[in-house]
Amino acid sequence: MEELQHIHPEPTSFIRKWVFSTDHKVIARQFLWAGLLFLAFGGGLAMLIRWQWAYPGEPVPAVGSLLFSGSGGSITPANYNSIFTMHGLIMIFFAITPIMIGAFGNFCIPLMIGARDMAFPKLNMLSFWTFLLSQCLVLASFFVQLGSGAAGWTTYPPLSTNVGTPGLGQTLVVAAIFVTGVATIMGGLNYVTTVVRLRAPGMTYARMPATVWGLWLTAILNVLFVPVLGSAALLLLLDRQFGTQFYVAGSSAVRGGGDPILFQHLFWIFGHPEVYILILPPWGFVTDLVSFFARKPAYWFKGSIFAMSAVTILSAVVYGHHMFVTGMNPMLGQSFMTLTLIISVPAELLFLNWLHTIWKGSIRLTVPMLFALGTIFVFGLGGLTGLFLGTISTDLYLHDTMFVVGHFHLTMAAAAFLGSFAAIYFWFPKMFGRNMNQTLGKWHFWFSAVFITLVFCGQLAAGYAGHQRRLFDPYQYTFLQHLHPLNRWTSYFAFLLGIGQLPFVYNFFRSVFMGTKAEMNPWEIGTLEWTLPSPPVHHNFDTIPTVHRGPHEFANPEVKKALGRDWIGQAEELPKTEKAPAKPAAAAGAS
Amino acid sequence: MGEILPYRPPRAREEWTAYLGMVIFLASWAMMFGSLFFAYGMVRARSNEWPPADLPSLPLVVPAINSVVLVLSSAVLQLVLVALRRGKAQLAGPGLGLTAVLGMVFLGLQITTWRSLFDDGLTPQGGPYASVFYTLTCFHALHVLVGILALGWLCRGALAGRYSAARFLPVRLWTLYWHFVGVVWLAMFVTVYVV
Repeated sequence: MEELQHIHPEPTSFIRKWVFSTDHKVIARQFLWAGLLFLAFGGGLAMLIRWQWAYPGEPVPAVGSLLFSGSGGSITPANYNSIFTMHGLIMIFFAITPIMIGAFGNFCIPLMIGARDMAFPKLNMLSFWTFLLSQCLVLASFFVQLGSGAAGWTTYPPLSTNVGTPGLGQTLVVAAIFVTGVATIMGGLNYVTTVVRLRAPGMTYARMPATVWGLWLTAILNVLFVPVLGSAALLLLLDRQFGTQFYVAGSSAVRGGGDPILFQHLFWIFGHPEVYILILPPWGFVTDLVSFFARKPAYWFKGSIFAMSAVTILSAVVYGHHMFVTGMNPMLGQSFMTLTLIISVPAELLFLNWLHTIWKGSIRLTVPMLFALGTIFVFGLGGLTGLFLGTISTDLYLHDTMFVVGHFHLTMAAAAFLGSFAAIYFWFPKMFGRNMNQTLGKWHFWFSAVFITLVFCGQLAAGYAGHQRRLFDPYQYTFLQHLHPLNRWTSYFAFLLGIGQLPFVYNFFRSVFMGTKAEMNPWEIGTLEWTLPSPPVHHNFDTIPTVHRGPHEFANPEVKKALGRDWIGQAEELPKTEKAPAKPAAAAGAS
Repeated sequence: MGEILPYRPPRAREEWTAYLGMVIFLASWAMMFGSLFFAYGMVRARSNEWPPADLPSLPLVVPAINSVVLVLSSAVLQLVLVALRRGKAQLAGPGLGLTAVLGMVFLGLQITTWRSLFDDGLTPQGGPYASVFYTLTCFHALHVLVGILALGWLCRGALAGRYSAARFLPVRLWTLYWHFVGVVWLAMFVTVYVV
């Protein structure tokens, strides 16, 4: 089997080993650091937005005099526009995407399918450095005249053309979106090919862990739909820099101009798959983790895979539900509504499978399991509120209110956020070879799960009361003034959510450098990465394993009888039951 | 217990992997060009007159010649591939060179088209009609340029005897790319110039 994949020689110089590395495990860690850094950045911006809605016009404590010196420490309307725009863009493209897809896509896929590296290691490295360039563009946009992008994360024209946001900042941000899109395509191309070509012998598609399924389906969506965003951004750049007329309309246009709605079409053709790009990996993590920590096989695993694939396909044909109020033909609107609501069927199936997996399991409430359960909870809330937005009659009322903000934060932000942390706590021992502190992890979980739910439910309530999104000072409107206490409480919860991340920061840094050494298989589960030392060696597998069974082989009485434990490795041979256990329990699948 | 795999030499496996990577890349890029065509269709559907009466109309003869040139170059490249497969590696160098030259002819004719239209007053800033024309053709030309550079590099390799019946993967991959660029051009020729 060694013939199947080359063993690349391990680099020896510092630069090739840690900086320009082609090793997927090093690239995964690079993505993780870059993503976490921007997660903190985007989170800081969120705190500023919440301050503005709790105490509009009042100086921001501690950082206000530093950041907004021109206005006596309070947030100006122009600053505010940049803050909420960049909060959204940074979180989606430069924090959640690199953590979930960049870090865990890179780390998990080769290890879990039994490959020595990605299919195209150099392209993988290029993907990270291209991504880093896009992050630099984002950072640079804060330091130019007129500030960073301010047209909302959706960058709708005409606001995002030179008419609405004339500064260089918006151009840099649009360029950053384009560049990060290129990086994502390179990554996605790699993941899709790797899963198709480099699975270990016996690792059939049905035996792949759900994590790999989620990441693979995400990669397919990325490869097909990020280019659509790329061309939307490209045309916007041309409009801004070369005076073309794709999106400009009205009095500022030449010869009638183009059509701003065009951008909305292109953006949401990409944008709706993007929602599932951000949720499919957590779905995969959760499907695996609930089985791993309920010590039970995943309930109807093939059904879960089917549901995830169905959602992947459906996600490509529902984008119109973002545009119900843009003057769409009602017939078309109805079709989009029907397709949108159909998505809830496979999503529900997935949900029931998770619950069935947990049902009567011997649950181990480890930190990753807690985060997985939290993900299920917030995603459930997000999914249910989505029904009101997918239905035209209710969407007409709720469109562009805080209800939308609450809904998509529960799905894309809360579920992706908790799902990412589940993955971080789960794979940390394998990634860094050290253990994280579980007590601090539990503190982090309860702070995160409770307050993230309260924050976004507060937003749902405000939106239901008619609070539009993105308002600089909502209380200028008399009909919103009574929401001030609600918003203030929501902000307090948001600040507590922010404070609740400090245990993680401390825990992460301390564990990376000073944590106790991790064992090979601390969670006692059977997927391939846990048959390797922590952290794995450069080429992962000395011998490419032969896989005999699926990833969730728990509580099998035969295994219990033969090996004396409730799990068996995917590549482990089951000794004949007549004989006494042939091998000690620790030799999981290594041969 | 594990299924028995037929033995394949590692190189054949890796070549398959690279080939799949190229196909996925081109699928991705097809979505990119598809979006540009979508933008064109929508802008055109929303405009009152297409083309505007006072702007120069697009030429037909030169782009038609260009289509022939690109189809011809694709055919030559495919023949190079056939020759390599049959072990006639000595034909690869000249064939690749000829393809690159045809690509350059295409680009040269395209530049003259842009120049004459620009001189007649069709500038990229002149409204959606001009925007569509320049964006689509320039974006495509950029891909032709990348193809020419690659073909030049392949040609050098072929003349140095680097490719044979046993190893010609780069030629195979860039052939796929070149065909893709040609197909995009034909779609562009029909929708932008003819209709």
